[in-house]
Amino acid sequence: MSEKNLEKTTAAAVEQERDHILDIKDLVVHFETDDGCVCAINGLNLSVRREKTLGLVGETGAGKTTTALSILNLVPSPPGVIKGGSIVLDGKDVLQMSEKELEHMRGNEVAMIFQDPMTALNPVMTVGEQIAESVMLHENLSQKDAFERAKEMLKMVGIAESRAYDYPHQFSGGMRQRVVIAIALACRPHFLIADEPTTALDVTIQAQVLDLMKELIDNNHMSMLLITHDLGVVAEVCDDVAVMYAGRIVEVGTTDEVFNDTRHPYTEGLFDSLPNLKEQGEELVPIKGMMPDPMHLPEGCTFAPRCPYATEACTQSVPELRHVNGSHYVACHAYDDPSFRLRRNANG
Amino acid sequence: MIRYVLKRLLFMIPTILITSFLIYFAMDLAGGDPVNTILPENATTEQKEALREEMGLNDPFLIRYARYMGGLVTGDMGESYVTGIDVFDRFMQCLPMTLALGGTALILACIISVPLGIYTALNQNTWKDTTGMVFALFGVSMPNFWLGLMLMLVFAVNLNWLPSQGADGPKYLVLPAVTVGLGLAALITRTTRSAMLDVIRADYMTTAKAKGASRRRVIYYHGLKNAMIPIVTAIGMQFSLVMTGSALAEVVFSWPGIGRLVFESIDKRDIPTVTGSIILCCILMSIINLVVDLIYAFLDPRIKAQYSNKG
Repeated sequence: MSEKNLEKTTAAAVEQERDHILDIKDLVVHFETDDGCVCAINGLNLSVRREKTLGLVGETGAGKTTTALSILNLVPSPPGVIKGGSIVLDGKDVLQMSEKELEHMRGNEVAMIFQDPMTALNPVMTVGEQIAESVMLHENLSQKDAFERAKEMLKMVGIAESRAYDYPHQFSGGMRQRVVIAIALACRPHFLIADEPTTALDVTIQAQVLDLMKELIDNNHMSMLLITHDLGVVAEVCDDVAVMYAGRIVEVGTTDEVFNDTRHPYTEGLFDSLPNLKEQGEELVPIKGMMPDPMHLPEGCTFAPRCPYATEACTQSVPELRHVNGSHYVACHAYDDPSFRLRRNANG
Repeated sequence: MIRYVLKRLLFMIPTILITSFLIYFAMDLAGGDPVNTILPENATTEQKEALREEMGLNDPFLIRYARYMGGLVTGDMGESYVTGIDVFDRFMQCLPMTLALGGTALILACIISVPLGIYTALNQNTWKDTTGMVFALFGVSMPNFWLGLMLMLVFAVNLNWLPSQGADGPKYLVLPAVTVGLGLAALITRTTRSAMLDVIRADYMTTAKAKGASRRRVIYYHGLKNAMIPIVTAIGMQFSLVMTGSALAEVVFSWPGIGRLVFESIDKRDIPTVTGSIILCCILMSIINLVVDLIYAFLDPRIKAQYSNKG
């Protein structure tokens, strides 16, 4: 490679890095228990573009929540150990930050919305106090001013200001999730991690909460990592999608690319197990088998034992992410054969 | 809230009725003729019989019990057979001593055990945790009186630093308070540890960390506030036990408290003193429990809401 070319590539890489608010490279997270090592995340690569929303999709146990906690460097330790990799957030590696820097980053630059609003709030503090705490930790405000801000935040998420003095048990699930969102947004972070924010809510409330989040993200020019197992939510909210399986990304691209030009057999399996409005009465096709036990991951491609297209080659080595087109990547050995097509694509 | 307190106070009445009956019955079964205690040894059979008749000791059990309860309602708990002192007055004389001993022991226990419990919980499954738990096991399994004797042997007899007997000032309080306190500390340590372990894994702790709160703040502000409920329960239960159960330590160190009063009264078959003291202890325990329940309401808004709803 000539020097000029090298310069160009580096410049492109720098450009790309500026474009990304979050870059996770080769992340490995293990939980070392007495019974053995639980390999939760095994070389994960993931990027989130600025002011865009990335949906991280996968089954329960794929390592989605661990990924989210890693970004805040909050993997419960022991037994969790971040074995390697880097998580570059806005140009700084989270894994190299000091405790002070981490505290400054959490809540201020990156905030997180948790899955279960019933347990995510401290039961012995008023919701106002809990929102105000976030403000007071990061901004030089008096208790009174912080509480005023808390009230504003409540109003922003659609809760009457007067309820700032109430305790979490006096709110319904959907209202609590609004409070959790208010806590997350209180310091106006640039980046929001939402870990299945609607899973624990009623279907009718889900749409409300999603709409609220979408609106707030757009208004505040925030980027978001939305963790979910609901492809419907992804289609509605996300610009990009990453599909996760057994601690690795198997397919990533824009929502349009992944939904309309599905490449990975696992992604296909996810779509097939959704009810289709156009073809009512058709039986759902679940993905056969179970997610592998993260303590004993199969050799080679971890999806191979469940994959209808699996060949000998799949059990030999772990497939690398390969470029499809645009920003679309897939990790599957089947594409060693250039004529390979998924059934879904072949049919139409 | 006030209605709740009143209701709880009313509930004390059946509790006292039942306890008093059981105590009175047990003392009756225990036998022993008070007349022998009261009269000099050379008293004649006629004199004894006359006194029995005068005191109503020949009446059936239920009538004697009813008479006793009648006195109790008017605040008359009778007089000691041995000293002739009013039982209530005697109890009230001993109460401050037991309060001083129990209070000091409990404060000592809390100072040791709450930090130790938190510390062991934070270092779960490490040698620090194991050491703490071995200490706690030692404290729980050690008989109070033995520990008292050992402390006395070391600090009073061999080193001669502290007095071994009596109650003549704060110095005298040290050994009995340590004796009682160590046993309590062990139990509270274990409760604190398990309460903290429950809390550490709670989702709201992760929320607090994700807000950017420091580890210290997360543990002591968010964690401890939630863990306080089981800890206060343990402390409250221990306190009522200390008030009534530090008898062994009081006897070993000749501490003039309620425990020793009851112990000596049983020894001398001083039935009115025993019965009266135990009924008063029972009332005391009920009150302490009520106070503990009220503390919950201040710690946990959910419990407060419950009290208000149920009145």
